[in-house]
Amino acid sequence: MKVTRITATLAAFALALTACGGDDGDDAPGADDNGNGAAEEGDEPEVQRGGAYTTIITGLHATAPPNPYNPDGNSFAGYNSVRLAWVKNHPTSPTEFYPGLASEWEVTDDNLELTVTLHPDATWSDGTPVTADDVVVSSNIAYTRGSGAFILDPGAAGAASDIEVIDDKTVQFTQDPENPTREFVNGIMNMIIVPAHIYGDLLPDDFDELLQAARGEDDAADDAREAISEAGEDVVSFAPEEDISAGPYVLERINPSEALLVRNEHFHNDHLVAPDQVIARNYDGNEQVWDYLQAGELDSSHFVAVPEDVVQQIEARPGNEASRTYSPVVAGLAFNQTYEPFDDINVRRALAYIIDREQMVAVSTPDGGTAATTTSGIHQEVVGEWIGDTVGDLDPYAVDLDRAAEELEAAGLSEENGRWVLPDGDPFSVPIQVPGGFSDWIAAGENIATQLNEFGIDSEIRTSPDFTVYQEEMTNGEYPVGFWLIGLGPSPYNIYQRLYGSSNGWEVLAGRLSYNEPGESGNWKGGPETYDVEGHGEVNPGELAHELRTADEERTHEIMTILAQTTNEHLPVIQMWDYVNTQFSNTDRFITDPPDDARRVTGVTSLAGIWIQQGWVTAVN
Amino acid sequence: MTSPGMVDVTTKGPSMRRNFWRGVWRVMLRKPSRLFGVALLGLFIFMATLGPVLYGRPLPRDPDNFFAPPSLQHPFGTDFQGFDVLALVVIGSRYVLLTALITAIVTIVLGASIGLFAGYRRGRLDAVLMRITDINLTIPGIPILLVLSTVWQFASPWEMGLVLGLLGWGALARAVRSQTLSLRERGFIEAARGLGLSTPHIVVRELLPPIAPYIAMNLLMSMILAVWAQVGLFFLGVMPVIGENWGVMLNRAVFDFGAMTTASRLPYMLAPLLALLLLTVAIVLVVDAMDEIFNPRLREE
Repeated sequence: MKVTRITATLAAFALALTACGGDDGDDAPGADDNGNGAAEEGDEPEVQRGGAYTTIITGLHATAPPNPYNPDGNSFAGYNSVRLAWVKNHPTSPTEFYPGLASEWEVTDDNLELTVTLHPDATWSDGTPVTADDVVVSSNIAYTRGSGAFILDPGAAGAASDIEVIDDKTVQFTQDPENPTREFVNGIMNMIIVPAHIYGDLLPDDFDELLQAARGEDDAADDAREAISEAGEDVVSFAPEEDISAGPYVLERINPSEALLVRNEHFHNDHLVAPDQVIARNYDGNEQVWDYLQAGELDSSHFVAVPEDVVQQIEARPGNEASRTYSPVVAGLAFNQTYEPFDDINVRRALAYIIDREQMVAVSTPDGGTAATTTSGIHQEVVGEWIGDTVGDLDPYAVDLDRAAEELEAAGLSEENGRWVLPDGDPFSVPIQVPGGFSDWIAAGENIATQLNEFGIDSEIRTSPDFTVYQEEMTNGEYPVGFWLIGLGPSPYNIYQRLYGSSNGWEVLAGRLSYNEPGESGNWKGGPETYDVEGHGEVNPGELAHELRTADEERTHEIMTILAQTTNEHLPVIQMWDYVNTQFSNTDRFITDPPDDARRVTGVTSLAGIWIQQGWVTAVN
Repeated sequence: MTSPGMVDVTTKGPSMRRNFWRGVWRVMLRKPSRLFGVALLGLFIFMATLGPVLYGRPLPRDPDNFFAPPSLQHPFGTDFQGFDVLALVVIGSRYVLLTALITAIVTIVLGASIGLFAGYRRGRLDAVLMRITDINLTIPGIPILLVLSTVWQFASPWEMGLVLGLLGWGALARAVRSQTLSLRERGFIEAARGLGLSTPHIVVRELLPPIAPYIAMNLLMSMILAVWAQVGLFFLGVMPVIGENWGVMLNRAVFDFGAMTTASRLPYMLAPLLALLLLTVAIVLVVDAMDEIFNPRLREE
């Protein structure tokens, strides 16, 4: 990969899409659960303190401003950039968080209202208290960026429709009652909070009026949306004179190799923060991280791709420890069904029977993934939670070359001199597109091509210069076959919107679901609008996936079962591997011991800042 | 029948050739390492031309034996998919050598012709051609390749060779022009001009032959540069890291499979490195021999 890049990508996906949460009792030391996911303050003992904590960061730009909205900004979530709460990626529960600036939050039963209370001691590093005004300004900025629940599209499902300041430390958010969704709370809690006295002037004075106007559908609404969008550009390019943080650290200095962050003594949970300093080392390639780890120089490292025997070498270093947890992401080989013969289900099934996924994972990502046991669209760690015993009814697509040959023959292909040819006599060719730099995808693609060639199908990998181009060209329908992330849990909707969302024709506009024909408006997968599914008849998977946003628990399980079976029977993708979140830490200087679900918090570049502020890092005497 | 005063080309031609090859053989024997170089170069040419024929497609592999250690069956072990590394080196030599050859030919054709014409004609043509040469010399090769890699996969050695050649002829053009400036004042060129021979005739028939050995040696040296340039580009990941060549092998070994830190992956990195080293040595030894063959002053009687 550079898994660096895929991690960032996954994080971005999860940040944008995930409605998360779920409290399984893994809270900060000394913090009790109050039933809504927030932690209550108790008699928390101070952690053992002192020293500099060394971790890794990628994409360090020494000249970029400490602005969390700047894509190159030196603002690191969990360290000097904060949110109301940190999303737990519980495998199946979408409403659980670790506390950030919010100490309490309450959601009404109908999921329409969210009331957030800021930590009473929350203070910016310049001594200014964090107030409801900061949250309002941050919300307005979020509208300029169109992120989370802050989407200007009138009637967009889940958009926050009203923000009311209850008091200096309490804010109430209301979502559009016409289109309530389960992602609403997550979208609010994931919002970046910035100081109003620094960022407030970047917004137009009449922002509230603009926001109201933008929710209309006339020309004035278009103008208002444009004005808000322009304000967003000012926010992105803003360069504050100094780093004002409400997190545990403030950026002290930075060079192209590393960033030094020092303790923010105004941080409201400073008594839980062990390291006096954090050194974030830049890395451009995974092998740099391997070297650091083998030398015992990192106190913790988030997920990067590591070859199996390098893992062993890292673990052999005294003090180093590896943790392996569930990662709510799945890699799939996706088809653009507007290309023949990939529109033929027999061809897709044949490929599923040919590819030995165990071998492919052993070649490409032995420590970062496990071979998918079948194609369900759901990560295998949680597939049982969603569809129960019906998982056993799914075709595992175990390697079966005879069956593959039968499927190809059923599709009209034939074998000539050991090579498969299309009905018109042309060789059957499978070009596999991968983004450059994603070493595990490249290795997996190479292995798939090798296996197909050994079976008699011409196949080779092709690379795109980077992931941005890859996504753009894929959306433009330029690749017949390519890797595509699916199963982005834990929200049921997010799991299936990657398969039956806009990339396959179903789009939410003005709160209503519509279908775009293959090749139009981002529908590059080009599958049919409905499938005939055994035992369920005619199934419209896009409608079912959309229903997951509001369905109750029973209906959710029912829909997930139907969609898993649809996916298994019709293979819009072949599920390749389920990610494993492998991370390393070293116990020489600090004990880093977060619970598993804190290891899979997504949407941040490096997780150690969140762990430190929750008190899960302790200095060794 | 020929008159006694005429040169008997039918008998003297072969005789001259025999003398030439005898001289070549003597030069070779003087330093046996040169014979080694020729043999080595021949081996690489054999690998590049017949290697892909010898190893049928798909290549045989052992999918249960990733990164197998060196053995009699696999002298350089196996790679991350269980392919024999030696086979990959052999297969990968075609891209490397063909690219190098194309690069060298493009470099030589452009560099030599521009240098010859500019040096012989002088004047306005010289000024124009040298400005073009100067521009070529200042073109930043790697950024251009970076941009081009977004358009091309460089899966074909023709693409890579053409680009490297087009970027690299400037220095040779300058050098050839210098030599031409010296030669054009010699008597035989003045005589040719006096006879009214055309510029192409003088350049091709009169100027080119004396410079040809120098150009031939440059051809080989260009090949070395092209080999290292393309392998370096693939190794650094500037080019799409796909396909069969030594640079891709090195990149994958170092950046994806930890060859610098893991002993079991070391053969995967060392095999293409060794091939590169041997190819360079072979070319250098051949150039050494050519230098003496074409430069009488270097011959030791």
